[in-house]
Order: sequence, then structure tokens, then C-alpha cells
Amino acid sequence: MPRLKLLAITALALVIVGGVIARAGLTRRWVSHLGLTETRHVKLRIWDWWSASSNEEYGDYFGALEDEFEARNPDVDIIYQVVPFGNYVQKLSTAMVGDTPPDVFQSSVYWAEGFYHRGMLLPLNNLLDADPALPGSPAYVGESAFLPSAWQHNHTEATPGRPAVVYGIPQIIDASCLLWNLDILQAAAGEDESIRALFQHNAAGVIDWDRIRWNGIESWDHFREITRKLTVRNEDDEVTQAGFLLSASSGAGLFSPWLAANGGRFQDAAGTRAMFASPSGIEAVEFIARLYWVDRVCPPFRRQMTDSEIFKERRAAVVAAGTWSGKDITRDTMGWTHFGKTAFPPGPSGDGPATVTWGNMLVITQRCENVDAAWRYVKFVGGLEGSLLRSVHLGYNGPRFDFYQTDRWQQALRERPYLSNVKQICLAGDKLRHTEIIAVDHQANPIVESVLLRYPEIIEGRGPYPSVEVAMKTAAANVDNVYRRYNEQVASWLDSRGEAGR
Amino acid sequence: MASRIPLSQRLLPYLYIGPALTVACVFSFVSMGISLWVSFHHYDAFAGASEYVGLDNYRRALQSDDSYFWLAMRHTAVYVVLSVSGTLLTALPLALLCLRAKAGQALFRTLYFLPSITPGVVLALVFYHIFGNYGQLLDRSWTALPALALLGVWAGAGYNMVIFLAGLTEIPQHLYDAAVVDGANRFQQFLHVTLPMLRNTLVFVTVMTIIGSFQVFTSVYIMTSGGPERSTEVIAYSIFVNAFAVAGQMGYASALAWLLFAVIFVFVFLQMRVFRSRRIYD
Repeated sequence: MPRLKLLAITALALVIVGGVIARAGLTRRWVSHLGLTETRHVKLRIWDWWSASSNEEYGDYFGALEDEFEARNPDVDIIYQVVPFGNYVQKLSTAMVGDTPPDVFQSSVYWAEGFYHRGMLLPLNNLLDADPALPGSPAYVGESAFLPSAWQHNHTEATPGRPAVVYGIPQIIDASCLLWNLDILQAAAGEDESIRALFQHNAAGVIDWDRIRWNGIESWDHFREITRKLTVRNEDDEVTQAGFLLSASSGAGLFSPWLAANGGRFQDAAGTRAMFASPSGIEAVEFIARLYWVDRVCPPFRRQMTDSEIFKERRAAVVAAGTWSGKDITRDTMGWTHFGKTAFPPGPSGDGPATVTWGNMLVITQRCENVDAAWRYVKFVGGLEGSLLRSVHLGYNGPRFDFYQTDRWQQALRERPYLSNVKQICLAGDKLRHTEIIAVDHQANPIVESVLLRYPEIIEGRGPYPSVEVAMKTAAANVDNVYRRYNEQVASWLDSRGEAGR
Repeated sequence: MASRIPLSQRLLPYLYIGPALTVACVFSFVSMGISLWVSFHHYDAFAGASEYVGLDNYRRALQSDDSYFWLAMRHTAVYVVLSVSGTLLTALPLALLCLRAKAGQALFRTLYFLPSITPGVVLALVFYHIFGNYGQLLDRSWTALPALALLGVWAGAGYNMVIFLAGLTEIPQHLYDAAVVDGANRFQQFLHVTLPMLRNTLVFVTVMTIIGSFQVFTSVYIMTSGGPERSTEVIAYSIFVNAFAVAGQMGYASALAWLLFAVIFVFVFLQMRVFRSRRIYD
């Protein structure tokens, strides 16, 4: 009897272990390679905050990427190492000090410029110049292959006598967008022509309830009017269905796309001056505050519940989000796809729908030991094939022009109609703030948050700032200090590398 | 006497403490020394470059217009006051109640101690949602810091209760008997017997709580990120942001860390001096 029990427990343990191995994404590959003789001499260490263990989709994506790349490059062994987004800078810092940086890593636009200035990233100009792939071909990863909004984050500004230095190849293109709950919109459209007008029409002139027009909202006043109509309150005057969601703590992140839509910029291209305390910036932050305090289309500010969570619970008609978020919403809501994306409507000083974009990129570190293998990998991921793999497995749109000509993209549009406006939104995007973003946010966000939380007090002259303008100018002055210190630091780094004056 | 002990035996204790001492030296004292060195430099780990700047980093922390050092110190001081008073007001009564419990003392002790062995990140995430669903304490700038202190008190109460409990069980029963004979009521017994006899324990708990509170970080990082409106920006969080979020500010962050060390050192030193000046009953 004891032996039988032991056998049963052993069998159960084997089934569990086997099941885990069978379901564990990359592990399948590891198991299939057991016993094979090692013939790959180049070990390419790649860091990413995307993780094969996040879910099956990511597991399949990294598995496919590795299989495809290694099949074509039998000398290279890909080693993925996951580093959480929030710890990326600390881990890289430690790796640099310990002289064990990765060969290639995915860099957020949050850090890319700073990493380049520090001398961590390999300039890619020579590799691009020597690349045999022709412009227009799927393997080409030069500027003309990419949407301009994807290629605006990965290089320095060209100045007279000094060409731009490319330090990354875009892997994705994302933009801030307005995310609309089409269930709510469709229900409200029955009685309202102005809401019906937000939807696209098919060739026969029939309303397509799955697709919203990317530029359907014509102005901030129009947006205000629509969100008011979509706001529902109970008898206690509490918002039960939000017309719009605002997260005050998001600060600069919340404010930037509205600023872009009002013709303003957060910073200058060289990263020396904050520009958001301009009249268009003050107008933008006042508009957001008035949506909350005057139009009352938002639920109370909450730090605990994110906008995305409330949107997924279908308690909000509109929320500002990244274009990337669709796939996550669909996954977290067990398949809901009836939502749509638009750019931000133009403000009084704006001249059309706009937003801000970011294109995270693959970069090669200066200490990479096998640049040739690293470049082959970067080209594969940044080429059309990489974009298609990300579309198939992760639901991403691509940063490349040719991606939008593929059958795969047409198929994705049929499966996920919410992607229909993504290309236009990305093309309408200005560059996200890019210099020392975390430090800048640390300075600007609490002040923008104060304006949003205490707008009525500020207007009445008893708030923490005498006016919105003073608040924004204070934030801009603090951000200017960040830029000043950063540029002094950059100058000293260049000096220490003997590159002063560049 | 000592000279008659063979050298090998005299060296034996040092051999025993050697590994721990090495670890302490390498990971505490050497790294502290490096951080002191860094605090006098503009230092960037990525660039691997440094430049000697003397006391600039300290001057900037203490005098610059855009320095949050004093704001963060003020918040930290409020947090310390709230958590020290909260800890003493909860842990000691809990220990007294636990001591009097006729049955289930071990159970109470275990239950109260559980938060102390739960990772701080987990506690912070749980309380993040509790505070969010009940009272929205983290949404207002005037309630966020007390809410964090409340978590700190709750998390530390069990551990400190056990310390107090150990101290209470050490108090000889005959002192209470004598007090009863002298006609002391329960409060007088507490005031004139328990408290004086617990003085060492009180010092220990207070010192440890002050040190821990000055270094509060996890709950701030997880629950508020210094907000709303910078109302929970404490010094440890400020150090972290400057060290890892801002390019080339590791020297400035190290200077902040040494200023924090100086403040804690002064507090603890004064406290030890004040309490050491009196003798405890033998």
C-alpha cells in the first residue's frame, strides 16, 4: 500500500512537472534542445522589460523570434534577460559598473537620449551606411522605412556640419490617444445625431458601429459637449458613468497630448528649455481642470484605481491611453474589442488632431563584443519580419510603412477594428518629451497635480499658487533647472571622453 | 591570566566573528565609505566619470531653491513623530493585554507578529487598496502621510509588542507585590513599576523605530510615489529619485544620504545620552 501511494504521488508529480514544461513557452524550446551539441559560438545577451513569462503571447513571440533568428544565424545563441521596466536604469547602472552590460537591449524613449549622451550606446550610422539592404526592401531599417513619428526618437538633432547620430532602430510606435467605449457611444447615438456623426460609414453609407472616425471630434468645445452627454449621474449626483477619466497624478503625461493638440510643445528639441508654460500650455491645463471642476464629466480623482481599470469595467466613455493598450484591454476583459481610438481634438490654438508619440527602440551597447551579430539581430527585429511577428503574437501595429501594406495588417484590422485609426494617430504625433523624462516628471507632475486638484482654490486666489500661470511657470523653472544640470553633466561627459564641442 | 591562554585559543573568537565581520565591512563600511567619497563628486555610474566638487552637493541640498531636502526632512520628521508615538501607544498596550491573557497568548503573539514577517511590498500593496476603498486616504495631501504612518505602526506593532512582552516578563513580581502592599492601584503600578523597569526596552524600541522611520521608503515608493502634491516625499524617496532617476546626480543623492545619516545619528546620540544619565533599578 505505501508503495502504491508513493507511485501515485510520483506519477502526479511527473504529470504536474510535465504540464508546466509543456505550457511554459520558451521552456518547450529548451527541452527540445536537450542533448544537442553546442555549436553556437556567439552569445548575444539581450535585455528587455517585455518578458516571455508575462503570458503565453509573449512566450510565443520570444520563442518565434529566437527560433527564426537562430535558424538563419547558426553561429548565434540568443540569451534573453528580463529586467523590469521600473528597475531598468538601476540594473543597467549596476551592469555598467560591473562591466557586464547586455549586448543589445530594448530602450524606452524615456532613457534612450540619456544613455546615448552617457556614451553607452553604439552610433549606428556606419552600420546603416554599410548595410546592403536596399531602401524599400523588408530588411531595410533606414529612416525611409519608418513612419516619421517612429524615427524622431532615435537620433540626435542634425546641426550645420554635424549630421544626426542614430543610436536606435525603432521596434514599435506608440501614441497617446483617446480611447472610446463604443458600446456607450452606440447606445447614446440612438438619440443623438452628433454622436452618430462620430462613427465611420462604410461604402454603402451605413454607419460602421465598430469604427470611430479618428478626427471625429472637431474641437475642445466639441469634446466637452460630447463627454457631457455621455456622463451619467445617480440621484446623489455621483458620476456612475464617466464622460471622461482624469488621473491628476499623471501630471505631464496627461497634459502633454492636450498641449500638442493646442499647438504647444513640452520642451525644445535640444532639451535646454521647458516650453509648456506658454499660453497654449496654460490653456491646455485649464481645459483639463475645467472638464473636471466645471463640466463635471469625471469621477472623483483617485490614485488607487487607474483610468484603464475603470475603462475596462465599462464605467467610462472616454479615457486617454496609449495606442498599445488595446490588446491588454481585450485580454483583460475576456475578448471585448468594441472600443475605438482617436487623436486628441485641436484646441483653440491647434491646427488639427494631434498627440504625442514614442518609438521604443533596440540599441547596441558600446561594450558589445560582437557588433555584427548584434546588428543582425537588431535588423531582424526592426525589419518587416519582426513587425509581423509582433503583430501576430502581441497585436502590435508596426513602426514601418511597409507593415501597413501587408495582408497581416488587413487581417488584424478585421479581427480588431479598434486598430483602424492607429496609423493616422501615430502620423499626427509630435515627439514625446524626451530629455530626462523621469527627473522632469518629478519636478512638473506635483505642480500640475496641484493645479488639477485645487483649481477652484487657485481661481479664487487662495490656492497653493496665485494663478495657473504662476504654477506652470514655477514648474517650467524647475524643469529648466533639470535641463541646465543635465546639459552641464552632458558637457562634462563629452569632455571626459574627449568629445567636447560636439 | 589571559597570557596563559594559548595564542590559538585567543585567536579562535576572531576566527568565529571573521566571516560576519568581513561581510559587514565589505557590504556596510566599505560601501558607506564609497558613498561618502561619491558625495563629494559629480558621479555617474553609466558614464563611469566623476569630478570632485567639494561640498557643492551638500550646499545644494541645504541651500538651493529647487532642493526638496527640507521639505522631505519635514515630511520625514512628521512621519517619525507619528510612527514613534503610534508604535508606543499600540505596542505597549498590546503587550500588557497579551501578558494578562489567560489563554491563547501564543496565538495573539503570533497573530500580531505576522505583519512583521510579511514583506513590506506586500503590505504596501494590500494597504494601497484598503486605503483606496475605505476613506481614500491616499488621495488627499493632508491624509496621505498619516495613512503611511498608520501602515508603519500597524506593520511594526507586533514586533515591538514581542520586545515589550519580553521586557515585561523580566520585571520581578515582588516589585508589584510591594507596590500593592503600599496601596498602589493598577495605574500607579504601571507608572512607578512597569514604566521605569521597561526603560531599557523603551529606549531600544524608540531608537529602532526612529531609525526605521527615518528610512521609510517602500510604502512611499509603492503607494504614493511622493504624492499627492509631493505631500509624502520623504528623504529616502528623494535619495532614490536623485540616485536612479536623474542623470549624474549620484553624488547629490549620496550627500542627501549622509545628511540623513547625520540627522539620525544626532537623534540617536541625544536619546542615548538622555536615557543613559539615569540608573535603572537593580
